[in-house]
Amino acid sequence: MTAALRRHGWSYLFVLPTFSLFVLFTLLPVAQGLVLALQDARVTGGTFIGLANFGTLADDPAFRQALGNTVLYATVVVAAQVTLALVVASLIQPLGARSRVFYRALFYLPLVNSAILVAMVWRWIFNPNPFGLANAALGTLGLGPFLWIGSSDQALLAVILSAVLTIPGGGVVLYSAAIGSLPRELYEAADLEGAGPFAKWRHITVPLLRPTTLYLVVVYTILAFQVFERVYIMTNGGGPNNATITIVQLIYSTAFQFGRYGLASAMAVVLFVMAIVVAIAQFRSLRTDVEY
Amino acid sequence: MERDVTISRRRFLQAMAAVGVVVACAPAGTPGTSAAASASGTAAAAKPVSIEWWRRNYTPGSQSAETITSDAAVKAWKERYPNVTITIQGGPFGPETDQKFDIAILQQKAGPDVFHTTGGDVLKYAAAGQLSEPPLTDAERRDFNPSALQATTYKGKVVAYPLWIVPWFEYINLDLFKEAGVTPPKDGNWTYDELFAAAKKLTFKRANGKQVYGFAHANDEFAFLLIDGGRPYDKDVKTWTFNSPDAVSGLEKWVALAQAKVMPPDFLTLNPNDSQARFLSGDIAILQRPSAMINVLNADKNWEFGKNWDIANFPKAKGDQTAWGGVGFIAVREQQDADRKAAAHQFAKYLTGPDIGPDLKKQTPPVEYWLAPAGRTSAAGIYGDYHPAKAKVAKMGAFTYVLPNVSTWSEIDQKYMRPARDAALEGKKTPKQALDEVTSAAQRLLDEANK
Repeated sequence: MTAALRRHGWSYLFVLPTFSLFVLFTLLPVAQGLVLALQDARVTGGTFIGLANFGTLADDPAFRQALGNTVLYATVVVAAQVTLALVVASLIQPLGARSRVFYRALFYLPLVNSAILVAMVWRWIFNPNPFGLANAALGTLGLGPFLWIGSSDQALLAVILSAVLTIPGGGVVLYSAAIGSLPRELYEAADLEGAGPFAKWRHITVPLLRPTTLYLVVVYTILAFQVFERVYIMTNGGGPNNATITIVQLIYSTAFQFGRYGLASAMAVVLFVMAIVVAIAQFRSLRTDVEY
Repeated sequence: MERDVTISRRRFLQAMAAVGVVVACAPAGTPGTSAAASASGTAAAAKPVSIEWWRRNYTPGSQSAETITSDAAVKAWKERYPNVTITIQGGPFGPETDQKFDIAILQQKAGPDVFHTTGGDVLKYAAAGQLSEPPLTDAERRDFNPSALQATTYKGKVVAYPLWIVPWFEYINLDLFKEAGVTPPKDGNWTYDELFAAAKKLTFKRANGKQVYGFAHANDEFAFLLIDGGRPYDKDVKTWTFNSPDAVSGLEKWVALAQAKVMPPDFLTLNPNDSQARFLSGDIAILQRPSAMINVLNADKNWEFGKNWDIANFPKAKGDQTAWGGVGFIAVREQQDADRKAAAHQFAKYLTGPDIGPDLKKQTPPVEYWLAPAGRTSAAGIYGDYHPAKAKVAKMGAFTYVLPNVSTWSEIDQKYMRPARDAALEGKKTPKQALDEVTSAAQRLLDEANK
């Protein structure tokens, strides 16, 4: 052990800077968040109140609404984005090498845009006035006008649509790379068996992509649980009658506008637990022993 | 004994005579001027002092109103009191800067010597013992607007200097009034029924398809709940009363505007900037906003006051003439360094007093210091000098309802009142139902603030 440490110990020096930053900016804040969740913490300090903050959350209609909105948003958006990424990547794959590169870049490029700007564009698209793009476009088909973000019944739908209609560039690139590495002999065997393109996609491509799907589902779910700027910009931070309020939006206002750091930390803990439980469930349901 | 009393009276009379001579010889001025003069006496005798002024939205070199007025104020101050050096620290409007203030003042017990603040912050800092009580004379107290002074009172003590009162009122597009054949309110006075009728006539679609809406507001105020005499709290600020019959009937009037569809369809999510932009683009005929928009319209060549736009009071209904209003304050942080604290008070008095307006007007180019009507009578006049619309706004302070400072107001507002308002305006709940449902949560938060 000592010899091994003597031989490889110096290598820990290389890890030390990153590890220190991780401890300082991730691990410690998380630990402090857990402590704050058990306190009536204000900017002046806090007093230990046990699990009372969690009791407050259970009785808080705004939190229950934020929880429901977050779960609904995550469920629809993750399912749609993963499916969309898979379909788009599959459609790109048969193209020539240059075209593939072009489309991958095309779908990935929007990711470099500021999320705030993107949300502002969506705010304009779903503006309930006739100059809103969605209403103008649907108007040409004789539909609408719809109230979109101006109505508590449609605001969350508009926010979800804004996420669903954005092709997830990261997912497309990952799926595209994964599809490219699938063994060709399986497709050749399927060809010999007379399988059509859809059958090959359904029975070869999709099952073999499960590790990629698992990764994307977990990552997109965590991102969806953390939705903030889209809601904040599109619907002024909660929409009519708090129709679009999400957990992170509520954490933000509870901590930085109402000064209740303890309560906000308790919300963050709930979100953290939700993310872990859902991730475990996703790992269990999508885990695979696929090797190729 | 008798002799002693006689001497005392004589001495008293001598002292009064001496004071009379001093007053007679002193330059004529308002109560504020005398106060500033007495304060300057302390400064003149004082050694060099450096203090820090924290001002939201101050960015060195930028053209924001806060930056221009703050730089000009420091320059003018330096000419009067060269021994006190002031450095300004800025930060954008928003929670990030609020947090910076909180951490400095409440946690580190350091930071600004003097700072701008609003709303519940005054109470929060006062409750933490971090505000130094302004040494106001009786004349100065009388000079401040009573409701503004009330808004800076914590446990019977005034804890900050009221700077200005910001009333919400109606901006009217005279071109649209003319187009729709609607007569603008005479002298800016109108009733709710008149506003309602005007808004209905002003909601129309032009031949080119452009839709014009009669009325709009941004989602940051509750003026209509005041219109019939409703108020959020009782006089002692102990009981939540925004579910009173007067408040309910006020909300009903607001709902009637929504039901008449005289407001744009996105009125529930219309933020201040968007509402302003929509007024400027001629989509909205009557817009309810505070005084800062006057400068925006004034800077636009397409908008000529009296020809294209005017302002009118918030309409009157069952209650007395009123307006929704906010107050800005200047506060001085409590600290051990007596010289810095004295200089900070002196500067705070200057910033809120009658001298700063004329001082900045004398600069080249002249700088308009007051962004809203002053909270002090002796300082109020100059705001109206800059623009005829401001002359009208300056008179609104007298009836503006200044929201009392309750440290939990932002939570009551955002978490409970706004959803309740939206539910009523969308027709999902009756106004009474919506306001009744808020009451217990609002009262709990009010009780918490009063602890």
